Amino acid sequence: MSQSLRPYLTAVRYSLEAALTLSNFSSQEVERHNRPEIEVGNTSAELLLQPMHVSRNENEQVLIETSVNSVRVNIKVKQADEIEQILVHKFTRFLEQRAESFHILRRTPIAGYSISFLITNKHTETMKTSKLVDFIIEFMEEVDKEISEMKLFLNARARFVAEAYLGEFVY
Amino acid sequence: MLHLRSHNLLIQKTLSEAYEANEKGAPLTLDRIVSDFDYTTFHITNTPDNKVILWVSIRTKAWQSVLQCDPNNGLVSFLQSKYANAAGVSVSNNTEPGYDFTLQIDLNALNQDSIVQVSLLKTMVLSFPFHLAFQEFAQLCTLPIPEDGSSIDSKTLYAIQHRDDEQFFIKASNDRITVIFETVFQDETDKVLGKVFLQEFVDARKRNRSIQSAPQVLVSHEPPLELQNQKTTRNVQADSSRRFITFVLFPRHFQTEELQFSSVSQLTLFRNYFHYHIKCSKAYMHSRMRFRVDTFVKVLNRAKVDDEEEDNESETQQHTRRTITGRKMVY
Repeated sequence: MSQSLRPYLTAVRYSLEAALTLSNFSSQEVERHNRPEIEVGNTSAELLLQPMHVSRNENEQVLIETSVNSVRVNIKVKQADEIEQILVHKFTRFLEQRAESFHILRRTPIAGYSISFLITNKHTETMKTSKLVDFIIEFMEEVDKEISEMKLFLNARARFVAEAYLGEFVY
Repeated sequence: MLHLRSHNLLIQKTLSEAYEANEKGAPLTLDRIVSDFDYTTFHITNTPDNKVILWVSIRTKAWQSVLQCDPNNGLVSFLQSKYANAAGVSVSNNTEPGYDFTLQIDLNALNQDSIVQVSLLKTMVLSFPFHLAFQEFAQLCTLPIPEDGSSIDSKTLYAIQHRDDEQFFIKASNDRITVIFETVFQDETDKVLGKVFLQEFVDARKRNRSIQSAPQVLVSHEPPLELQNQKTTRNVQADSSRRFITFVLFPRHFQTEELQFSSVSQLTLFRNYFHYHIKCSKAYMHSRMRFRVDTFVKVLNRAKVDDEEEDNESETQQHTRRTITGRKMVY
């Protein structure tokens, strides 16, 4: 892991640990509803907490939006060029299509971010919070690694294919 | 599979089957449609009256434009000369309706070599404009070289429309033959991946010393100068995703008949090879992502609090017993 990635991930980890203190909270507006307050247009300001914004550079940012019973974690994955953009787009879409097996994954990211997670008090009740944080941190590490590996693979393959084709003309 | 083969495997197999069945004295009844790249279809049938005689017909998008390459209509006689030496294969006088060209095959006189020749039919058709260009090159070669050292270019540009919206062009000069492919990317992802691949095609020759004698490859968004006078029949909307790939063949690539044939069969498959490998890398990335998703799910599942496990940990073994059906007994 590169030197500048470590403090970034540490910052995200501590911010998440601080944010994941959720409690069960029934809706104040609709009777017998219990909904993630971060997701609904809210008129009661006391339910929303201050969002936390961790930024490594303009391409890699995390926005943690917190409320009384839910946390939304938005991750912007590094996209240096056209190929990485496509790879990130394909990869996140691939994950989102399988959102039901991920429980905490949001089907669409919020504008400006590559992927979003929504953690509610239900999740923190059925899962260990520390492990959830581990998951998000590992996810961030792995996504970067995966994208750059795929990009390298693509270049290597293109090179191999081109050389193999042109090699046929060498007599 | 790295390389695409220039012969059609299915035709080869069908004919081999027919040949073997005929050897055993029970000729097959055949009526098969075989497809190939670039909207090419083949039709293999028995003649109505004799099972030992087969017809192999081809219909290909490129036929019309290949026909127009030669004002003297030399295509059919070219194909005739190509199949003159293949045992048991002759050019049928009446083309099957709906198809462009028909070969007649006599199973009694057939051998393995001519089966391969028949399965190369599509390459043979496409090699005709190359054949013309090689002839033209031979003529231009004999002309005196201009004093300023510039090359003499042929007046004719052979344009072969092998797909709906894609063509390739061949132009002969006195020191080289230029082959220009145009290709359209249907989707944005293909376009970006294609860019990576094309860049490698351009760079491969510079980087790898062992393939320096390969043809030079150039890629551009704009039509190259050779195509300036070419009238366009193309779809303007697709222009942003259109790329031109130029191969410059030097005399060493077409010195002998065999070299000509192998160069041509490689070049006619270029577009297919290129797009095929783009699709392959997409498929690989897809399976890779699938694997990665599985590992992520595993990490997430570690976070889950398992009730069963908790129970086992909290209660000692002495207090909990299970019946044979898995039910818990607590006492």
